[in-house]
Amino acid sequence: MRRYGRVFREFFRACFVEEMEYRSEFFGNFAASFFGVGMALLTVHIFFYQTDDLGGWTYAEMLVLLGIFNMLRGFIDFALRPNMPRLLEHVRRGTLDYILTKPVDSMFYVSFRHLVFWRLIDVALGLGVIGYGLYIERYVPSAVDVLMFLVVMAASLLLIYSLWMMLMTTSFWVVRIDDLSFIFDSFFETARFPGSMYRGAVRMVITYVLPAVLITNTPALALLGKWSVSTVLAALAVAILFLWLARRFWRFALRFYTGAGG
Amino acid sequence: MVRKYIALLRMKYIEMLAYRLATFVWMTGAITQPLITMFVWMNIHPEESESFLFYFMAVIFVERMTSAWDVWELDREIREGTFSNLLLRPLHPIHWAIAENIVYKWLFLVILVPVWMVGAVYWPALRPHMTGSQIGWFLGAVVLGAALRFLLSYSCGLLAFWVTKVAAVYGVIDVISLFLSGRIAPLEMLPPQLREWSEWLPFRYMISFPIEIATGAVRAEELVRGFAIAAGWLFVLAAVLQWLWKAGMKKNQAVGG
Repeated sequence: MRRYGRVFREFFRACFVEEMEYRSEFFGNFAASFFGVGMALLTVHIFFYQTDDLGGWTYAEMLVLLGIFNMLRGFIDFALRPNMPRLLEHVRRGTLDYILTKPVDSMFYVSFRHLVFWRLIDVALGLGVIGYGLYIERYVPSAVDVLMFLVVMAASLLLIYSLWMMLMTTSFWVVRIDDLSFIFDSFFETARFPGSMYRGAVRMVITYVLPAVLITNTPALALLGKWSVSTVLAALAVAILFLWLARRFWRFALRFYTGAGG
Repeated sequence: MVRKYIALLRMKYIEMLAYRLATFVWMTGAITQPLITMFVWMNIHPEESESFLFYFMAVIFVERMTSAWDVWELDREIREGTFSNLLLRPLHPIHWAIAENIVYKWLFLVILVPVWMVGAVYWPALRPHMTGSQIGWFLGAVVLGAALRFLLSYSCGLLAFWVTKVAAVYGVIDVISLFLSGRIAPLEMLPPQLREWSEWLPFRYMISFPIEIATGAVRAEELVRGFAIAAGWLFVLAAVLQWLWKAGMKKNQAVGG
């Protein structure tokens, strides 16, 4: 475990050095992130121009949810998205051999080797939106709320990682990767809103099959003091289950990989 | 010219068949955002669920029929230099793009219209109530919308002669158009200020306007005004495109020379 911490730090450093070469892009990226959050806020504002309750959530609560959505998306774009096209390249050219022969876990390596730092701006902005939402709601989370929030947030990150990894693993068979991340985005977009808003089959799917709702809604509710021990435990259990599935799938896919020489 | 176009269309048709999976993902891709937005509005006004169903299904349909992807193509071609191949051919490159648009949209039409018809059997809310002239105006508005989006997208793509982040520029325009073209909300739901803006900017005429005609929300005098504004934008965008093209060609020679 210590070794993986050190390897990750090394990835971090290498990517940071790389990014420093493109410093001039920083302001453009910064502006783009601000614009994105502003537009998301405007969207919520337009919805609440017509109502003051969306699936049982108030405007302020929606802001907290939006902040968490933005944070999680920031994490995805920071650590996961940059690695997707690279795995495809490795599989296509057979250079995955070099990774498989390295003395680190291959799944760990392919999912964290490349990091895009400026995406962390989205995480910071998400935190800002959460803070603003809590301020309007006039709710100060207690220490237990925050603790529960951190636990479910960790579970959400694990869940996202697992789902993303499963999708990424299909690149051993499917070649068009940009279409793949597109599928994830379509699915993740549903997590922007309260699960209670959806109806019928859609609601079933995004609550139980692909737990988009779990990913964003539970951290938001925890921070708003509406957590329960059972949902927190359920979130953790689902996260571990999905991580196990993703791991199994990766192993399974590797058996299909024949390498450059094969 | 007609014979040239037939050849172009055939080529693009074959090209499309070569990427069947991508084409399919592409067609289903734009569905989630309108569907989620539909759920939001059904929640806000449950009593109008049926009209929201019609509206957002129409959004998916019109959005596909008017969609424009030329900016990404041009961005890549100009950046990687493959655009020169097109320039060497004896026909203006824009004709290739137009032919491609016709082929793909024809495919979307052939698939989406039967899907809609099957849907209308099960959901009465999807059955349109349009008179003959309304259908005519609707189709005209869709074609006009497609032309507007194409011109905007192609003009943005030409900016790649000068800047490297064209896709980002177009992304910003696209997000703004989400609000003003009626994809986030039917325009009547917008705050009055935004609504007024939407009438004078071109975005409404790219998606919302045909749907408003189909639902009968546009009255006769507004219809004429709407088409006039859209036609005005069509000329403006066409002029911009022509100007960008000329300037871009000079710039391009400079880079290659």
